[in-house]
Amino acid sequence: MDITFWGVRGSIPSPGAEFNRYGGNTSCVSVRTKRGTQLILDAGTGITVLGRHLMRSEFGHGAGQATLLLTHAHWDHIQGFPFFAPIFIPGNRFTIYGSSESPAMVEGILEGQMDPHFSPVHSLRNLGAEIQVLATQDGVTFQVDDLQITGRINPHGGYAARAYRLEQEGSRVVYAPDAGYINDTPTPEIQELYHGASILIHDCTYTPEDQEARRARGHSSIADAARVAALCQVRSLVMFHYDQDYTDDQVDVLQARCREFLDREPGGKTIDLVAAAEGLTISA
Amino acid sequence: MRIRFWGVRGSYPVPGHATNRYGGNTACVEVCPEDGTVLIIDAGTGIRKLGRELMTGPCGRGEGVVHLLISHTHWDHIQGIPFFAPLYVKGNRINIYARQRDVQLKTIFSSQTEDPYFPVSLAEVAADVNYTALIEGEVFAVGSVDVRCARLNHPFIAIGYRLDADGGSVAYVADTAPFDRILFGHQFVAGRPDLDAPLPAEDHAQLRTIRQGVVGICHDSDLVIYDTMFRMQEYLARPHWGHSSPEHALELMQEAQARCLALFHHSPDRSDTDVDVDLQTARQSARCQVIAAQEGAMFEIRDGVRRTN
Repeated sequence: MDITFWGVRGSIPSPGAEFNRYGGNTSCVSVRTKRGTQLILDAGTGITVLGRHLMRSEFGHGAGQATLLLTHAHWDHIQGFPFFAPIFIPGNRFTIYGSSESPAMVEGILEGQMDPHFSPVHSLRNLGAEIQVLATQDGVTFQVDDLQITGRINPHGGYAARAYRLEQEGSRVVYAPDAGYINDTPTPEIQELYHGASILIHDCTYTPEDQEARRARGHSSIADAARVAALCQVRSLVMFHYDQDYTDDQVDVLQARCREFLDREPGGKTIDLVAAAEGLTISA
Repeated sequence: MRIRFWGVRGSYPVPGHATNRYGGNTACVEVCPEDGTVLIIDAGTGIRKLGRELMTGPCGRGEGVVHLLISHTHWDHIQGIPFFAPLYVKGNRINIYARQRDVQLKTIFSSQTEDPYFPVSLAEVAADVNYTALIEGEVFAVGSVDVRCARLNHPFIAIGYRLDADGGSVAYVADTAPFDRILFGHQFVAGRPDLDAPLPAEDHAQLRTIRQGVVGICHDSDLVIYDTMFRMQEYLARPHWGHSSPEHALELMQEAQARCLALFHHSPDRSDTDVDVDLQTARQSARCQVIAAQEGAMFEIRDGVRRTN
Protein backbone atom coordinates (compact mmCIF):
# COMPACT_ATOMS: atom_id res chain seq x y z
CA MET A 1 0.00 0.00 0.00
CA ASP A 2 1.20 3.50 -0.85
CA ILE A 3 -0.19 6.14 1.49
CA THR A 4 -0.11 9.77 0.39
CA PHE A 5 -1.05 12.80 2.50
CA TRP A 6 -3.03 15.60 0.81
CA GLY A 7 -4.27 17.44 3.89
CA VAL A 8 -2.94 17.07 7.45
CA ARG A 9 -4.63 19.95 9.33
CA GLY A 10 -7.56 19.95 11.72
CA SER A 11 -10.51 22.34 12.05
CA ILE A 12 -9.96 24.83 9.22
CA PRO A 13 -7.42 25.28 6.40
CA SER A 14 -4.36 27.40 7.20
CA PRO A 15 -3.05 29.28 4.18
CA GLY A 16 0.23 31.16 4.65
CA ALA A 17 3.96 30.78 4.10
CA GLU A 18 4.49 29.67 7.72
CA PHE A 19 2.41 26.54 6.99
CA ASN A 20 3.90 25.59 3.61
CA ARG A 21 6.15 22.71 4.69
CA TYR A 22 3.55 20.56 6.46
CA GLY A 23 0.70 22.12 4.50
CA GLY A 24 -2.48 23.98 5.43
CA ASN A 25 -5.17 21.76 3.90
CA THR A 26 -7.64 19.85 6.06
CA SER A 27 -7.74 16.06 6.35
CA CYS A 28 -7.34 13.85 3.30
CA VAL A 29 -5.18 10.75 2.77
CA SER A 30 -5.10 8.47 -0.26
CA VAL A 31 -4.18 4.80 -0.33
CA ARG A 32 -3.26 2.90 -3.47
CA THR A 33 -2.62 -0.84 -3.51
CA LYS A 34 -0.29 -2.65 -5.91
CA ARG A 35 -3.35 -3.93 -7.77
CA GLY A 36 -4.49 -0.35 -8.27
CA THR A 37 -7.29 -0.10 -5.73
CA GLN A 38 -7.82 3.59 -5.01
CA LEU A 39 -9.04 4.49 -1.54
CA ILE A 40 -9.50 7.98 -0.08
CA LEU A 41 -9.73 8.69 3.64
CA ASP A 42 -11.75 11.84 4.41
CA ALA A 43 -12.58 14.77 2.18
CA GLY A 44 -11.11 17.89 3.79
CA THR A 45 -9.70 20.53 1.42
CA GLY A 46 -6.73 18.24 0.72
CA ILE A 47 -9.04 16.27 -1.57
CA THR A 48 -9.10 19.23 -4.01
CA VAL A 49 -5.35 18.79 -4.53
CA LEU A 50 -5.77 15.02 -4.87
CA GLY A 51 -8.57 15.72 -7.38
CA ARG A 52 -6.29 17.80 -9.58
CA HIS A 53 -3.71 15.01 -9.40
CA LEU A 54 -6.26 12.30 -10.30
CA MET A 55 -7.58 14.32 -13.24
CA ARG A 56 -4.27 13.59 -14.98
CA SER A 57 -5.04 9.85 -14.79
CA GLU A 58 -8.03 7.71 -15.83
CA PHE A 59 -10.30 9.96 -13.72
CA GLY A 60 -9.72 12.75 -16.25
CA HIS A 61 -11.55 10.82 -18.95
CA GLY A 62 -14.27 9.21 -16.89
CA ALA A 63 -12.70 5.80 -16.35
CA GLY A 64 -11.73 6.16 -12.70
CA GLN A 65 -13.01 4.23 -9.73
CA ALA A 66 -12.38 5.01 -6.05
CA THR A 67 -13.78 4.44 -2.59
CA LEU A 68 -14.08 7.31 -0.12
CA LEU A 69 -14.19 6.51 3.60
CA LEU A 70 -15.48 9.27 5.88
CA THR A 71 -14.59 9.15 9.58
CA HIS A 72 -17.26 11.70 10.58
CA ALA A 73 -19.06 14.73 9.21
CA HIS A 74 -17.22 17.65 10.82
CA TRP A 75 -16.43 20.27 8.15
CA ASP A 76 -12.69 19.65 8.10
CA HIS A 77 -13.41 16.08 6.95
CA ILE A 78 -15.99 16.78 4.24
CA GLN A 79 -15.58 20.39 3.08
CA GLY A 80 -13.47 19.54 0.03
CA PHE A 81 -15.95 17.09 -1.44
CA PRO A 82 -17.97 19.51 -3.64
CA PHE A 83 -14.67 20.71 -5.15
CA PHE A 84 -13.21 17.26 -5.90
CA ALA A 85 -12.91 17.57 -9.69
CA PRO A 86 -13.35 13.85 -10.62
CA ILE A 87 -16.95 13.83 -9.28
CA PHE A 88 -17.98 16.06 -12.18
CA ILE A 89 -16.75 13.67 -14.88
CA PRO A 90 -19.44 11.26 -16.17
CA GLY A 91 -18.14 7.70 -16.17
CA ASN A 92 -16.15 7.95 -12.94
CA ARG A 93 -17.50 5.75 -10.16
CA PHE A 94 -17.30 6.46 -6.44
CA THR A 95 -18.44 4.49 -3.43
CA ILE A 96 -18.69 6.59 -0.28
CA TYR A 97 -18.75 4.93 3.13
CA GLY A 98 -19.89 7.20 5.96
CA SER A 99 -19.75 6.63 9.68
CA SER A 100 -23.51 6.83 10.17
CA GLU A 101 -25.74 3.84 10.72
CA SER A 102 -27.71 4.14 7.50
CA PRO A 103 -26.87 5.16 3.93
CA ALA A 104 -29.71 7.72 4.08
CA MET A 105 -27.99 9.49 6.97
CA VAL A 106 -24.68 9.60 5.11
CA GLU A 107 -26.40 10.89 1.99
CA GLY A 108 -28.32 13.46 4.07
CA ILE A 109 -25.06 14.79 5.49
CA LEU A 110 -23.51 15.20 2.04
CA GLU A 111 -26.71 16.74 0.63
CA GLY A 112 -26.84 19.14 3.60
CA GLN A 113 -23.42 20.42 2.63
CA MET A 114 -24.71 21.03 -0.90
CA ASP A 115 -27.96 22.69 0.15
CA PRO A 116 -28.56 25.56 -2.31
CA HIS A 117 -28.37 28.13 0.48
CA PHE A 118 -24.73 27.16 0.94
CA SER A 119 -23.47 25.74 -2.32
CA PRO A 120 -23.90 26.32 -6.04
CA VAL A 121 -23.10 22.63 -6.48
CA HIS A 122 -26.45 21.16 -5.58
CA SER A 123 -27.22 17.50 -4.91
CA LEU A 124 -25.25 14.30 -5.45
CA ARG A 125 -27.53 13.65 -8.42
CA ASN A 126 -26.10 16.54 -10.43
CA LEU A 127 -22.44 15.71 -10.08
CA GLY A 128 -21.81 13.68 -13.23
CA ALA A 129 -19.98 10.73 -11.73
CA GLU A 130 -21.87 7.69 -10.49
CA ILE A 131 -21.98 7.83 -6.70
CA GLN A 132 -23.05 5.09 -4.33
CA VAL A 133 -23.45 5.97 -0.67
CA LEU A 134 -23.13 3.28 2.00
CA ALA A 135 -23.00 3.14 5.78
CA THR A 136 -20.50 1.23 7.92
CA GLN A 137 -21.27 -0.82 11.01
CA ASP A 138 -19.08 -0.66 14.07
CA GLY A 139 -16.62 -3.55 14.10
CA VAL A 140 -17.98 -5.20 10.96
CA THR A 141 -15.23 -5.92 8.42
CA PHE A 142 -15.96 -5.26 4.76
CA GLN A 143 -14.01 -5.75 1.57
CA VAL A 144 -13.01 -3.14 -1.00
CA ASP A 145 -11.26 -5.05 -3.79
CA ASP A 146 -8.06 -6.37 -2.21
CA LEU A 147 -8.45 -4.40 1.05
CA GLN A 148 -10.16 -5.58 4.21
CA ILE A 149 -11.59 -2.65 6.15
CA THR A 150 -12.86 -2.43 9.73
CA GLY A 151 -14.23 0.69 11.41
CA ARG A 152 -14.54 1.41 15.14
CA ILE A 153 -15.94 4.39 17.02
CA ASN A 154 -13.70 6.77 18.96
CA PRO A 155 -15.09 9.43 21.29
CA HIS A 156 -14.56 12.92 19.87
CA GLY A 157 -15.81 15.65 22.20
CA GLY A 158 -19.58 15.40 22.34
CA TYR A 159 -19.45 13.49 19.10
CA ALA A 160 -17.87 10.33 17.71
CA ALA A 161 -15.45 9.66 14.88
CA ARG A 162 -14.67 6.38 13.20
CA ALA A 163 -11.16 4.97 13.09
CA TYR A 164 -10.51 2.64 10.13
CA ARG A 165 -8.12 -0.29 9.81
CA LEU A 166 -7.06 -1.33 6.31
CA GLU A 167 -5.51 -4.77 5.92
CA GLN A 168 -3.82 -6.35 2.97
CA GLU A 169 -1.29 -9.19 2.79
CA GLY A 170 -0.22 -8.81 6.41
CA SER A 171 0.05 -5.01 6.26
CA ARG A 172 -2.20 -3.11 8.63
CA VAL A 173 -2.74 0.61 8.31
CA VAL A 174 -4.91 2.40 10.85
CA TYR A 175 -6.36 5.88 10.31
CA ALA A 176 -7.59 7.56 13.51
CA PRO A 177 -7.64 11.29 12.80
CA ASP A 178 -9.93 12.46 15.63
CA ALA A 179 -9.78 10.76 19.01
CA GLY A 180 -10.48 12.23 22.45
CA TYR A 181 -10.12 9.20 24.71
CA ILE A 182 -12.19 9.00 27.87
CA ASN A 183 -9.82 9.01 30.87
CA ASP A 184 -6.95 9.03 28.36
CA THR A 185 -7.61 5.37 27.51
CA PRO A 186 -8.88 3.88 24.24
CA THR A 187 -11.68 1.31 24.50
CA PRO A 188 -10.67 -2.39 24.31
CA GLU A 189 -12.25 -2.49 20.83
CA ILE A 190 -10.12 0.41 19.64
CA GLN A 191 -6.99 -1.11 21.19
CA GLU A 192 -7.72 -4.30 19.31
CA LEU A 193 -8.18 -2.30 16.08
CA TYR A 194 -4.83 -0.52 16.50
CA HIS A 195 -2.93 -3.55 17.79
CA GLY A 196 0.17 -4.47 15.80
CA ALA A 197 -0.50 -1.90 13.07
CA SER A 198 2.32 -1.39 10.57
CA ILE A 199 1.28 2.26 10.46
CA LEU A 200 -0.95 4.17 12.87
CA ILE A 201 -2.01 7.58 11.52
CA HIS A 202 -3.17 9.27 14.71
CA ASP A 203 -4.73 12.50 15.92
CA CYS A 204 -1.89 14.73 17.18
CA THR A 205 -3.82 17.99 17.33
CA TYR A 206 -2.23 19.42 20.46
CA THR A 207 0.71 19.68 22.80
CA PRO A 208 -0.32 18.35 26.25
CA GLU A 209 -0.46 21.97 27.51
CA ASP A 210 -2.78 23.21 24.75
CA GLN A 211 -4.94 20.11 25.08
CA GLU A 212 -5.50 20.84 28.77
CA ALA A 213 -7.13 24.16 27.88
CA ARG A 214 -9.30 22.56 25.17
CA ARG A 215 -10.39 19.25 26.66
CA ALA A 216 -13.97 19.58 25.43
CA ARG A 217 -12.85 19.52 21.80
CA GLY A 218 -12.10 15.81 22.01
CA HIS A 219 -8.65 15.62 20.45
CA SER A 220 -5.46 13.80 21.35
CA SER A 221 -2.17 15.34 22.36
CA ILE A 222 1.19 14.05 21.14
CA ALA A 223 1.54 12.37 24.55
CA ASP A 224 -1.75 10.47 24.04
CA ALA A 225 -0.66 9.37 20.58
CA ALA A 226 2.73 8.16 21.87
CA ARG A 227 1.13 6.28 24.78
CA VAL A 228 -1.47 4.59 22.57
CA ALA A 229 1.10 3.68 19.91
CA ALA A 230 3.27 1.94 22.51
CA LEU A 231 0.31 0.31 24.25
CA CYS A 232 -0.88 -1.18 20.95
CA GLN A 233 2.64 -2.11 19.81
CA VAL A 234 2.45 -0.42 16.43
CA ARG A 235 5.51 -0.34 14.20
CA SER A 236 5.19 3.22 13.03
CA LEU A 237 3.29 6.27 14.34
CA VAL A 238 2.29 9.04 11.96
CA MET A 239 1.37 12.39 13.54
CA PHE A 240 -1.72 13.91 11.92
CA HIS A 241 -4.46 16.60 12.21
CA TYR A 242 -2.32 19.44 13.59
CA ASP A 243 -4.03 22.44 15.16
CA GLN A 244 -4.64 25.14 12.54
CA ASP A 245 -2.44 27.65 14.38
CA TYR A 246 0.72 25.50 14.65
CA THR A 247 3.34 26.80 12.23
CA ASP A 248 5.86 24.52 10.52
CA ASP A 249 8.45 25.35 13.18
CA GLN A 250 5.97 24.43 15.90
CA VAL A 251 5.18 21.11 14.22
CA ASP A 252 8.95 20.42 14.16
CA VAL A 253 8.95 20.89 17.93
CA LEU A 254 5.79 18.78 18.23
CA GLN A 255 7.61 15.95 16.47
CA ALA A 256 10.72 16.22 18.65
CA ARG A 257 8.58 16.19 21.78
CA CYS A 258 6.47 13.27 20.50
CA ARG A 259 9.72 11.32 19.99
CA GLU A 260 10.62 11.99 23.63
CA PHE A 261 7.18 10.83 24.80
CA LEU A 262 7.56 7.66 22.70
CA ASP A 263 11.04 6.94 24.08
CA ARG A 264 9.68 7.04 27.62
CA GLU A 265 6.99 4.43 26.91
CA PRO A 266 7.73 0.69 27.34
CA GLY A 267 8.68 -0.58 23.88
CA GLY A 268 8.37 2.95 22.48
CA LYS A 269 11.99 3.35 21.41
CA THR A 270 11.59 0.96 18.48
CA ILE A 271 8.51 2.74 17.10
CA ASP A 272 9.23 4.91 14.06
CA LEU A 273 7.81 8.40 14.15
CA VAL A 274 6.72 10.35 11.08
CA ALA A 275 5.10 13.78 10.96
CA ALA A 276 2.52 13.77 8.16
CA ALA A 277 3.10 16.46 5.57
CA GLU A 278 1.25 17.34 2.38
CA GLY A 279 2.74 15.47 -0.59
CA LEU A 280 4.49 12.84 1.57
CA THR A 281 4.09 9.20 0.47
CA ILE A 282 4.91 6.26 2.73
CA SER A 283 4.60 2.54 2.03
CA ALA A 284 3.16 -0.24 4.16
CA MET B 1 -11.86 55.39 5.33
CA ARG B 2 -9.44 52.50 5.05
CA ILE B 3 -10.12 49.02 3.75
CA ARG B 4 -8.13 45.87 4.36
CA PHE B 5 -8.31 42.50 2.62
CA TRP B 6 -8.27 39.42 4.88
CA GLY B 7 -9.44 36.84 2.33
CA VAL B 8 -9.51 37.27 -1.45
CA ARG B 9 -10.16 33.74 -2.72
CA GLY B 10 -13.36 32.25 -4.12
CA SER B 11 -14.91 28.76 -3.74
CA TYR B 12 -12.58 27.27 -1.12
CA PRO B 13 -9.37 28.10 0.75
CA VAL B 14 -6.15 27.18 -1.04
CA PRO B 15 -3.09 26.88 1.19
CA GLY B 16 0.31 26.28 -0.42
CA HIS B 17 3.39 27.89 -1.99
CA ALA B 18 1.50 28.93 -5.11
CA THR B 19 -0.82 31.30 -3.23
CA ASN B 20 1.44 32.78 -0.54
CA ARG B 21 1.57 36.26 -2.04
CA TYR B 22 -2.09 36.97 -2.84
CA GLY B 23 -3.30 34.65 -0.09
CA GLY B 24 -5.38 31.49 0.09
CA ASN B 25 -8.19 32.51 2.47
CA THR B 26 -11.77 32.93 1.28
CA ALA B 27 -13.63 36.25 1.08
CA CYS B 28 -13.35 38.77 3.91
CA VAL B 29 -12.85 42.55 3.70
CA GLU B 30 -12.58 44.97 6.62
CA VAL B 31 -13.82 48.52 6.24
CA CYS B 32 -12.46 51.06 8.76
CA PRO B 33 -14.14 54.48 8.82
CA GLU B 34 -12.56 57.23 10.89
CA ASP B 35 -15.19 56.98 13.65
CA GLY B 36 -13.91 53.50 14.57
CA THR B 37 -17.00 51.53 13.52
CA VAL B 38 -16.01 47.89 12.99
CA LEU B 39 -17.49 46.81 9.67
CA ILE B 40 -16.68 43.57 7.89
CA ILE B 41 -17.91 42.34 4.53
CA ASP B 42 -18.21 38.56 4.26
CA ALA B 43 -16.93 35.89 6.59
CA GLY B 44 -14.81 33.47 4.60
CA THR B 45 -11.80 31.91 6.30
CA GLY B 46 -10.01 35.28 6.22
CA ILE B 47 -12.18 36.44 9.15
CA ARG B 48 -10.28 34.13 11.51
CA LYS B 49 -7.15 36.30 11.50
CA LEU B 50 -9.20 39.49 11.63
CA GLY B 51 -11.01 38.13 14.68
CA ARG B 52 -7.71 37.48 16.39
CA GLU B 53 -6.66 41.09 15.74
CA LEU B 54 -9.99 42.45 17.00
CA MET B 55 -9.46 40.51 20.23
CA THR B 56 -6.61 42.91 21.09
CA GLY B 57 -9.20 45.72 21.31
CA PRO B 58 -12.69 46.08 22.86
CA CYS B 59 -13.75 42.63 21.54
CA GLY B 60 -11.18 41.03 23.85
CA ARG B 61 -12.86 42.71 26.84
CA GLY B 62 -16.41 41.89 25.82
CA GLU B 63 -17.09 45.49 24.84
CA GLY B 64 -16.92 45.09 21.06
CA VAL B 65 -19.60 45.89 18.50
CA VAL B 66 -19.06 44.27 15.11
CA HIS B 67 -21.15 44.79 11.99
CA LEU B 68 -20.88 41.93 9.53
CA LEU B 69 -22.37 42.42 6.06
CA ILE B 70 -22.85 39.14 4.20
CA SER B 71 -23.16 39.11 0.41
CA HIS B 72 -24.72 35.63 0.37
CA THR B 73 -24.49 32.41 2.33
CA HIS B 74 -22.38 30.23 0.03
CA TRP B 75 -19.67 28.52 2.12
CA ASP B 76 -16.76 30.64 0.94
CA HIS B 77 -18.53 33.72 2.34
CA ILE B 78 -19.56 32.36 5.76
CA GLN B 79 -17.28 29.42 6.62
CA GLY B 80 -15.05 31.52 8.88
CA ILE B 81 -17.87 32.50 11.28
CA PRO B 82 -17.38 29.61 13.73
CA PHE B 83 -13.70 30.61 13.98
CA PHE B 84 -14.37 34.32 14.64
CA ALA B 85 -13.00 34.71 18.18
CA PRO B 86 -15.16 37.73 19.27
CA LEU B 87 -18.22 35.44 19.08
CA TYR B 88 -17.01 33.55 22.13
CA VAL B 89 -16.67 36.57 24.44
CA LYS B 90 -19.69 37.54 26.53
CA GLY B 91 -20.69 41.16 26.10
CA ASN B 92 -19.68 41.50 22.46
CA ARG B 93 -22.45 42.39 20.05
CA ILE B 94 -22.23 40.90 16.57
CA ASN B 95 -24.73 42.32 14.08
CA ILE B 96 -25.08 40.15 10.99
CA TYR B 97 -26.76 41.62 7.89
CA ALA B 98 -27.71 39.45 4.91
CA ARG B 99 -30.31 39.28 2.20
CA GLN B 100 -33.63 37.89 3.32
CA ARG B 101 -34.14 34.19 2.61
CA ASP B 102 -37.07 31.82 2.48
CA VAL B 103 -36.20 30.90 6.07
CA GLN B 104 -34.98 33.07 8.94
CA LEU B 105 -31.35 34.18 8.77
CA LYS B 106 -30.73 32.79 12.25
CA THR B 107 -31.81 29.35 11.06
CA ILE B 108 -29.49 29.45 8.06
CA PHE B 109 -26.45 30.74 9.93
CA SER B 110 -27.01 28.38 12.86
CA SER B 111 -27.30 25.32 10.66
CA GLN B 112 -23.62 25.72 9.74
CA THR B 113 -22.67 24.78 13.28
CA GLU B 114 -25.25 22.14 14.00
CA ASP B 115 -24.65 18.47 14.55
CA PRO B 116 -23.04 16.66 12.78
CA TYR B 117 -21.03 19.41 11.07
CA PHE B 118 -19.48 21.41 13.91
CA PRO B 119 -19.02 20.86 17.64
CA VAL B 120 -19.96 24.36 18.89
CA SER B 121 -23.44 25.69 18.12
CA LEU B 122 -23.76 29.29 16.93
CA ALA B 123 -27.02 29.45 18.87
CA GLU B 124 -25.03 28.99 22.09
CA VAL B 125 -22.11 31.39 21.63
CA ALA B 126 -21.43 33.89 24.42
CA ALA B 127 -21.70 37.05 22.32
CA ASP B 128 -25.05 38.63 21.55
CA VAL B 129 -25.74 37.89 17.86
CA ASN B 130 -28.40 39.88 16.00
CA TYR B 131 -29.63 39.31 12.47
CA THR B 132 -30.97 41.90 10.04
CA ALA B 133 -32.60 40.72 6.82
CA LEU B 134 -31.94 43.05 3.88
CA ILE B 135 -33.50 43.48 0.49
CA GLU B 136 -32.02 45.12 -2.61
CA GLY B 137 -32.59 48.86 -2.67
CA GLU B 138 -32.36 49.12 1.10
CA VAL B 139 -30.46 52.11 2.53
CA PHE B 140 -29.23 52.26 6.10
CA ALA B 141 -26.44 53.64 8.27
CA VAL B 142 -23.86 51.77 10.33
CA GLY B 143 -22.05 54.32 12.48
CA SER B 144 -20.75 56.95 10.07
CA VAL B 145 -21.07 54.60 7.09
CA ASP B 146 -23.99 54.90 4.69
CA VAL B 147 -24.85 51.52 3.19
CA ARG B 148 -26.85 50.79 0.04
CA CYS B 149 -27.72 47.33 -1.35
CA ALA B 150 -28.23 46.03 -4.86
CA ARG B 151 -29.19 42.58 -6.07
CA LEU B 152 -26.47 40.61 -7.86
CA ASN B 153 -26.91 37.89 -10.47
CA HIS B 154 -25.86 34.74 -8.62
CA PRO B 155 -27.41 31.35 -7.83
CA PHE B 156 -29.81 31.75 -4.88
CA ILE B 157 -29.25 35.53 -5.05
CA ALA B 158 -26.44 37.59 -3.56
CA ILE B 159 -26.38 41.30 -2.75
CA GLY B 160 -23.72 43.90 -3.39
CA TYR B 161 -22.99 46.80 -1.07
CA ARG B 162 -22.06 50.44 -1.52
CA LEU B 163 -20.42 52.09 1.46
CA ASP B 164 -19.93 55.86 1.74
CA ALA B 165 -17.92 57.37 4.60
CA ASP B 166 -15.43 60.16 5.24
CA GLY B 167 -15.91 61.52 1.72
CA GLY B 168 -14.88 58.21 0.07
CA SER B 169 -16.82 55.29 -1.36
CA VAL B 170 -16.40 51.57 -1.89
CA ALA B 171 -18.62 49.09 -3.73
CA TYR B 172 -18.45 45.35 -3.03
CA VAL B 173 -19.79 43.27 -5.91
CA ALA B 174 -19.33 39.58 -5.15
CA ASP B 175 -20.51 37.14 -6.29
CA THR B 176 -22.10 37.93 -9.60
CA ALA B 177 -22.41 36.69 -13.15
CA PRO B 178 -22.73 39.18 -15.98
CA PHE B 179 -26.21 40.45 -16.72
CA ASP B 180 -26.99 39.23 -20.21
CA ARG B 181 -27.26 35.47 -20.69
CA ILE B 182 -28.66 33.81 -17.56
CA LEU B 183 -30.96 35.15 -14.87
CA PHE B 184 -30.14 33.55 -11.53
CA GLY B 185 -32.82 33.22 -8.89
CA HIS B 186 -33.95 30.43 -6.64
CA GLN B 187 -34.01 27.89 -9.42
CA PHE B 188 -30.98 25.65 -9.62
CA VAL B 189 -29.17 25.64 -12.98
CA ALA B 190 -27.72 22.14 -13.14
CA GLY B 191 -25.86 22.28 -16.43
CA ARG B 192 -24.41 24.73 -18.92
CA PRO B 193 -27.29 26.35 -20.80
CA ASP B 194 -27.15 27.26 -24.49
CA LEU B 195 -25.79 30.80 -24.39
CA ASP B 196 -27.14 31.60 -27.86
CA ALA B 197 -30.71 30.60 -27.04
CA PRO B 198 -32.94 33.66 -26.73
CA LEU B 199 -33.89 34.65 -23.18
CA PRO B 200 -37.56 35.20 -22.24
CA ALA B 201 -38.43 38.90 -22.38
CA GLU B 202 -39.18 39.08 -18.64
CA ASP B 203 -35.75 37.60 -17.83
CA HIS B 204 -34.18 40.25 -20.05
CA ALA B 205 -36.10 42.98 -18.30
CA GLN B 206 -35.16 41.68 -14.87
CA LEU B 207 -31.49 41.38 -15.80
CA ARG B 208 -31.57 44.97 -17.07
CA THR B 209 -32.97 46.10 -13.72
CA ILE B 210 -30.35 44.11 -11.80
CA ARG B 211 -27.59 45.59 -13.92
CA GLN B 212 -28.89 49.11 -13.37
CA GLY B 213 -28.81 48.47 -9.64
CA VAL B 214 -25.20 47.29 -9.77
CA VAL B 215 -24.16 50.24 -11.94
CA GLY B 216 -25.96 52.39 -9.37
CA ILE B 217 -23.97 51.19 -6.37
CA CYS B 218 -20.71 51.43 -8.34
CA HIS B 219 -21.47 54.88 -9.78
CA ASP B 220 -18.69 57.39 -9.29
CA SER B 221 -17.13 55.27 -6.54
CA ASP B 222 -13.47 55.39 -5.57
CA LEU B 223 -13.08 51.63 -5.38
CA VAL B 224 -15.08 48.70 -6.74
CA ILE B 225 -14.24 45.23 -5.39
CA TYR B 226 -15.59 42.87 -8.06
CA ASP B 227 -15.96 39.11 -8.55
CA THR B 228 -13.48 38.37 -11.34
CA MET B 229 -13.04 34.67 -10.64
CA PHE B 230 -13.21 33.59 -14.26
CA ARG B 231 -11.05 34.17 -17.26
CA MET B 232 -13.31 34.69 -20.29
CA GLN B 233 -12.92 31.13 -21.61
CA GLU B 234 -13.75 29.76 -18.15
CA TYR B 235 -16.87 31.91 -18.05
CA LEU B 236 -17.97 30.58 -21.42
CA ALA B 237 -17.45 26.99 -20.19
CA ARG B 238 -19.26 27.52 -16.87
CA PRO B 239 -21.63 30.47 -17.21
CA HIS B 240 -24.07 28.76 -14.84
CA TRP B 241 -21.68 29.04 -11.87
CA GLY B 242 -22.52 32.72 -11.46
CA HIS B 243 -19.15 34.48 -11.73
CA SER B 244 -17.62 37.19 -13.94
CA SER B 245 -14.32 37.89 -15.68
CA PRO B 246 -12.17 41.05 -15.53
CA GLU B 247 -13.60 42.03 -18.95
CA HIS B 248 -17.12 41.98 -17.53
CA ALA B 249 -16.00 44.06 -14.55
CA LEU B 250 -14.21 46.64 -16.70
CA GLU B 251 -17.25 47.11 -18.91
CA LEU B 252 -19.34 47.85 -15.85
CA MET B 253 -16.64 50.14 -14.38
CA GLN B 254 -16.77 52.28 -17.47
CA GLU B 255 -20.53 52.60 -17.45
CA ALA B 256 -20.48 53.41 -13.73
CA GLN B 257 -17.59 55.87 -14.16
CA ALA B 258 -15.88 54.31 -11.14
CA ARG B 259 -12.20 55.02 -10.54
CA CYS B 260 -10.44 51.89 -9.29
CA LEU B 261 -11.24 48.21 -9.82
CA ALA B 262 -9.99 45.55 -7.39
CA LEU B 263 -9.92 42.10 -8.98
CA PHE B 264 -11.35 39.86 -6.25
CA HIS B 265 -12.58 36.33 -5.50
CA HIS B 266 -9.59 34.81 -7.29
CA SER B 267 -10.16 31.30 -8.59
CA PRO B 268 -8.67 28.56 -6.40
CA ASP B 269 -6.92 27.33 -9.55
CA ARG B 270 -5.04 30.62 -9.92
CA SER B 271 -1.41 30.82 -8.70
CA ASP B 272 0.18 34.12 -7.69
CA THR B 273 1.82 34.32 -11.10
CA ASP B 274 -1.55 33.74 -12.78
CA VAL B 275 -3.07 36.62 -10.79
CA ASP B 276 -0.13 38.81 -11.87
CA VAL B 277 -0.91 37.94 -15.48
CA ASP B 278 -4.64 38.68 -15.05
CA LEU B 279 -3.78 42.02 -13.46
CA GLN B 280 -1.43 43.02 -16.29
CA THR B 281 -3.97 41.97 -18.91
CA ALA B 282 -6.75 43.94 -17.24
CA ARG B 283 -4.57 47.03 -16.94
CA GLN B 284 -3.81 46.99 -20.66
CA SER B 285 -7.44 47.50 -21.61
CA ALA B 286 -8.63 49.45 -18.56
CA ARG B 287 -9.54 53.12 -18.56
CA CYS B 288 -9.42 53.16 -14.77
CA GLN B 289 -6.92 52.14 -12.08
CA VAL B 290 -6.81 48.35 -11.54
CA ILE B 291 -5.43 46.47 -8.54
CA ALA B 292 -5.59 42.81 -7.53
CA ALA B 293 -6.93 42.18 -4.04
CA GLN B 294 -4.21 40.74 -1.83
CA GLU B 295 -4.48 39.29 1.66
CA GLY B 296 -3.13 41.74 4.22
CA ALA B 297 -3.10 44.74 1.86
CA MET B 298 -4.54 47.96 3.29
CA PHE B 299 -5.79 50.92 1.26
CA GLU B 300 -6.68 54.49 2.14
CA ILE B 301 -9.75 55.73 0.25
CA ARG B 302 -9.43 59.48 0.07
CA ASP B 303 -9.08 61.35 -3.21
CA GLY B 304 -8.39 58.02 -4.87
CA VAL B 305 -7.09 54.69 -3.67
CA ARG B 306 -3.64 54.43 -2.13
CA ARG B 307 -1.97 51.41 -0.57
CA THR B 308 -0.70 52.14 2.93
CA ASN B 309 1.29 49.02 3.84
